Amino acid sequence: MVYDSIANASIPTAVSNPKEIGKKKRVNRTAKLKQCKLDARREQWLSQVKNKGFKEENKGDVRAKMPASDMHASNEGDRSLVKLVINPGGEENDGLMNHYSDWESPSNSPTSHTSSLGSNRSVANFTGSSSRSSSSSSGGCYSESMTEEDDGDDGCLDDWEAIADALAADDIKNNHNPNPDSTTASSELEPVETIKEDQEDSHAQVNHRAWRPDDAYRPQGLPNLLKQNSFPMNSDRHYKNVGFAFAPSTCPICCEDLDLTDTSFLPCPCGYRLCLFCHKRILEDNGRCPGCRKLYEQHAEQGIAASKLGRSHSMIPRR
Amino acid sequence: MVDFSRVQKELQECNRDINVSGISVNPKSDNLTNLIGTIPGPIGTPYEGGTFKIDINLPDGYPFEPPKMKFATKVWHPNISSQSGAICLDILKDQWSPALTLKTALLSIQALLSAPEPDDPQDAVVAQQYLKDYQTFASTARYWTESFAKTSSLGVEEKVQKLVEMGFPEGLVRSTLEVVGGDENMALEKLCSG
Repeated sequence: MVYDSIANASIPTAVSNPKEIGKKKRVNRTAKLKQCKLDARREQWLSQVKNKGFKEENKGDVRAKMPASDMHASNEGDRSLVKLVINPGGEENDGLMNHYSDWESPSNSPTSHTSSLGSNRSVANFTGSSSRSSSSSSGGCYSESMTEEDDGDDGCLDDWEAIADALAADDIKNNHNPNPDSTTASSELEPVETIKEDQEDSHAQVNHRAWRPDDAYRPQGLPNLLKQNSFPMNSDRHYKNVGFAFAPSTCPICCEDLDLTDTSFLPCPCGYRLCLFCHKRILEDNGRCPGCRKLYEQHAEQGIAASKLGRSHSMIPRR
Repeated sequence: MVDFSRVQKELQECNRDINVSGISVNPKSDNLTNLIGTIPGPIGTPYEGGTFKIDINLPDGYPFEPPKMKFATKVWHPNISSQSGAICLDILKDQWSPALTLKTALLSIQALLSAPEPDDPQDAVVAQQYLKDYQTFASTARYWTESFAKTSSLGVEEKVQKLVEMGFPEGLVRSTLEVVGGDENMALEKLCSG
């Protein structure tokens, strides 16, 4: 999904000469890296906010019995809608802000519990506006998950599976994976599938490639998430899929945790790992790998590396 | 801006195995840019038995720039200035790597003490002596170690007793020793001047 949006953004800028294309590619790559990081952070942050949201929601349940507070709550819901409509920016930051208000409004207004008509409309409206304004579809589905769950019964599960299916199909398309039911994938997924079968046997068969519990883009509102997450998992797969949540190690330079992008980042053939920030800093400096003192080479597959190397080659004579 | 989270971590890690390495790093002031490192003189060298203090100053670019290190203890060594304590060591200059730490740098300095490089000297006089008359060099280095790097070898009580025997009142001796950090020579100087 993320890749999609970036690709789309770069298409309109017409590129004529081949050098420009190369440059664009590099820029694109760094943009992707940045985007990946941003996305991971946002996911993490959203899940935090969500937890908080649930607590507040419980408080809201109690409050909802009083008609006065009910009025107040629906007013708040409307106000949040106004906020969203005013701020329909397509930028990433704006999207983030919208998500924030998305999360805040259901927790402030227990509207869907009390099921007053006006407030219901507002909920429906702002989910629509958020998916319109933010470029990533995952954000939209998050807000929906919240509102759907407010209804509290399993009747919405069908919708959920449909959304999950659609998103999974989207993912497959993006990954150019022609055969989602390949032997390795299905064997990997097996334990998860059995868990799902136990819990919701009617849907598990239909939805063969549903969300894995450790999928980074899995909607947080899907039921039984916590139960599934608490199951012991293959630690390798765990790290691969949710690097941002369970950072395997820290950057040896800055001692910050390595995130999903950093853990798959291997700038030097000597195998010395470091975070993207430190790598960039070193490229601005002398461009030598901290582990082996060799210059970061072109095969580092990094746009930044390639662009900076020309300069560092001329400054530091190789021995 | 110095990466303080890394410095903090380095201090913790370095002081954890102080019993094994004998190397310690401690903050000199509150801001963690001024530190004091101590290394034991390598066994089998004229520096054996001494404890050498090293002034560490972290530049803003640390760990991407090397820490500034110089001997606070006077040392007789071809690659260390006998006047200023400046150290001639490549990893503290162009061969620094952010993967190195304060501890590994201090370990390298300790290794330099046991393996002088007279062909790339910091102190030309010492280097000449090392090349022309090693025996004199070794005895001078040993004498300097005895005089400057062994102040903490005596216990506090012994120092107090020594100074009291010189005719200073015990209370004054104790407070002066505390002020100068246990260095009996500095305490004696202070007692004589004040």
